[in-house]
Amino acid sequence: MSVAPTLGAMLLSPGWRDVVVLGGGSEPGPWLAGSRVMLEVGGHPEALEGRLLVVLLTSDHTDWRIDALISRASAAGAAALLLAGVEPLGRGAQLLAERLQLPVLGSPDPLAAHEYLTQVTAEPDVVRADLVLRAVGALRRTFGDLNTVLRTAADVLGRPVTLAGSDGGTLAGEPLEADERPVLVAALPAVPVGWAAPYQVDLPGGAVMIAVAVLGAGPVCWLVARLPAVVPAEVAAVPAVLTVVAPAVGERLALRRLELERDARQRTSLLGELLHGEPSEATRRRAVDLGWQLDGWHTGIRIGADGQLDVAGRRADVVEAFDAEGLHAVVVEQGDGWSAWITAVREPTATEVQQQAAAIRRVQRRLVKTVDAYVGVGRVAPGPSGIASSLAEAGDAAGLARGRAETGRFLHVDRLGLAQLLLAWTRTDTFQPAARALLAPIEDQPGDLVTTLAVYLDTESSLAETAAVLGIHRNTAAARIHKIQHLLGVDLSNPDERLALHLASRTTRT
Amino acid sequence: MLQVRGGRIGRMSTVIRAQELDALVVGVTLLGSGGGGDTGAFGRMLRRRLGDGELVLRDASDAPGAYVSPIGVVGATSVLAEKLPSGGEFDTAVRAVSRWTGRPVTGLMSLEAGGLNGLSPLIAALDLGLPFVDADLMGRAMPRLDQFSWAVAGRSLTPCALSEPSGQVIVVDHVDAAGLERAVRSFVAHTGGWAVLALAPTPVKAATSDAVTGSLTRALALGRAHAGLDVGVRPQTVAQTLGGRLLGGGRVEEVARHTVPPGGAAFGRGSVCVVDSASRAVLRIETENEYLLAMVDGEPVVSTPDLVCVLDRRTLQPIFVDAIRTGDEVLVLALPGPTWWRRPDRIAHVGPRAFGLTCDPMLLEAS
Repeated sequence: MSVAPTLGAMLLSPGWRDVVVLGGGSEPGPWLAGSRVMLEVGGHPEALEGRLLVVLLTSDHTDWRIDALISRASAAGAAALLLAGVEPLGRGAQLLAERLQLPVLGSPDPLAAHEYLTQVTAEPDVVRADLVLRAVGALRRTFGDLNTVLRTAADVLGRPVTLAGSDGGTLAGEPLEADERPVLVAALPAVPVGWAAPYQVDLPGGAVMIAVAVLGAGPVCWLVARLPAVVPAEVAAVPAVLTVVAPAVGERLALRRLELERDARQRTSLLGELLHGEPSEATRRRAVDLGWQLDGWHTGIRIGADGQLDVAGRRADVVEAFDAEGLHAVVVEQGDGWSAWITAVREPTATEVQQQAAAIRRVQRRLVKTVDAYVGVGRVAPGPSGIASSLAEAGDAAGLARGRAETGRFLHVDRLGLAQLLLAWTRTDTFQPAARALLAPIEDQPGDLVTTLAVYLDTESSLAETAAVLGIHRNTAAARIHKIQHLLGVDLSNPDERLALHLASRTTRT
Repeated sequence: MLQVRGGRIGRMSTVIRAQELDALVVGVTLLGSGGGGDTGAFGRMLRRRLGDGELVLRDASDAPGAYVSPIGVVGATSVLAEKLPSGGEFDTAVRAVSRWTGRPVTGLMSLEAGGLNGLSPLIAALDLGLPFVDADLMGRAMPRLDQFSWAVAGRSLTPCALSEPSGQVIVVDHVDAAGLERAVRSFVAHTGGWAVLALAPTPVKAATSDAVTGSLTRALALGRAHAGLDVGVRPQTVAQTLGGRLLGGGRVEEVARHTVPPGGAAFGRGSVCVVDSASRAVLRIETENEYLLAMVDGEPVVSTPDLVCVLDRRTLQPIFVDAIRTGDEVLVLALPGPTWWRRPDRIAHVGPRAFGLTCDPMLLEAS
């Protein structure tokens, strides 16, 4: 590969950030074979052959000598002309540059531009060594988190640096362009090996992505730098720099993971203690340390999720979703989901409870984008024990919500209580046919056996009460119950069977 | 009214009548190379003074023994349109310098041939009844007094007299060209903006030995040739007819005029950019009061002391530096300048470097 970059690529390179096109420019421009310096506009350049002519002292871009210089540079075979300063050219010079097809550039620091071009064309190894050394030096002085490391790398390269997941999703740093993600993902292997060479991905628009695998504690991710155009020396240098940066990124990832797990364990164990009766003094103190308010009125929330889930890792998303809805919730990793609660100083009114439930629903909607979450919300309960009781209700509600797609997998145990919720469930389309099938054998029998069964179960299996309610003789009631057990083939002393029949009788009666 | 006295007119002399005034005005305008001041007003004055009479442009040999005084208008010639001449300025200046030197003025010549000073001495000659010798100190138009051929040849410009329209007159003596320039500038700046300058009466032989001769005769010839051009004639033909070279023709793309930096040169610099409609070549003309340097595609091709002239493409009328506008359709010509300047010791005073353009003089092939 030739080491000569195009003018267009140089204009996008970090060393030429302050270079602008003043006239005669066309994409992608000529190849720049090198750079020559001239002190003043009055000079007479010779034999430039595809090089850039750099003029260090230029007082006035509308001066006639600029026109003369454009003419002389073109005659000497210059690829382009770089002037000091970025003031616009005179019209004549612009027209002349277009006519002679000579791009005229301007820069406040032409000497720096000259040196950079000389380096990338004549000394690509120096560019690489310089970048790597700078990266090492900068990383040694970097004590911050992952983002600081990425920013340091981006500063050294003068290019955006991204930490991307194996699906191309951005984990940190500059987000990747949506249309470039698939190209990158297609080019990268699913299971990288540590010693693999960095990957170079050529994008359709002429840009290049360099990717280096970060192997650490968690899933594989990629350190990606995007170069908008090919400057060969830079393309050769960036993989080396990323290779130096990758271990530092891996270290930061592992540290963060460790921190997350430690915090999660701390929270989970504290919650476990809260759920087991009145908290001890030590527990209260630890709760204060974590910023948990034990007194007041609590609303428990249980967020469950289907599928494998990194509960500790994704906690931040949950907290963020609550924050976005203006809810200050304590979120604790528990089992295959999160337990959360919101604390109010005084007892919330019915309207407030409704509003809060609506807000929690919106939280769920935010989460659903990334997590297959189902949510249960408990009733408001006071005091430290309230956390436990409300969370227990929320857990039950979540269990119900999981199977109820028609309510958006969201259930709120409001004032009516859980029993009503269950009852409501018996009116669903799934349960009713089952109930009818269960009671079908006694449906058309004489003596209104269905009503008798319902009353019998409602009156806690008391024959006397049943007879009283129905206005029949006690023996009649006993005979009917006997017949029901016979026809249905059930044993009414079995609690499971009794519950099923009780619910079924409620359904058919209404 | 000057009468032509038979027998005294030599073969070298040229006679101008009313019908030739238009040609003369165009001729001196071309010699002005875009500067020298608007010739229109003085052209009309000259027509009125001349009436049905004749005006003789004498060769130096036709005025033997005469003491001639170079005369003309100095200062901001654009103010002439607002501050009109009273008519007595020439007389006052000539009297003053005559009185100071103790010599009667018996003939006039011109300070500069280009622009309105190609015409003003003729008016003076008619007014004062003095013979006019066709000689001047520039052969074209230039902005500074140190560019008078006398000054370049090492002769003193003083004593001299300045008079302005309200009658004020001063005589300046014992000062070099730069000092005279300062004196003139401060005088006109504090009076009417312009003044008539008359140099000391000098024996005609000496006066014309260090001067450009025959400029007005040339102007008349140029004007006549110009008058013979038909509208719509090919640009190349225009250049050939006028004895010059065509640099290009097309639309004026840009006229840049720079304000004078404080403490800098006294004249505003500028540039005119024209794109040749046939070849798309980019013409650039650097200007001060005159068109100084013409470049084609970035290469200097013609400079002072040769003449760069810009003509309206349709009417072929010369366009002054201060009148050219973006969008004008023009022809750009180069005409040979006065040969008097074509000597290494002289050209330094009027070449591009004399105007701050670091470029060697680019002259047309000597014709």
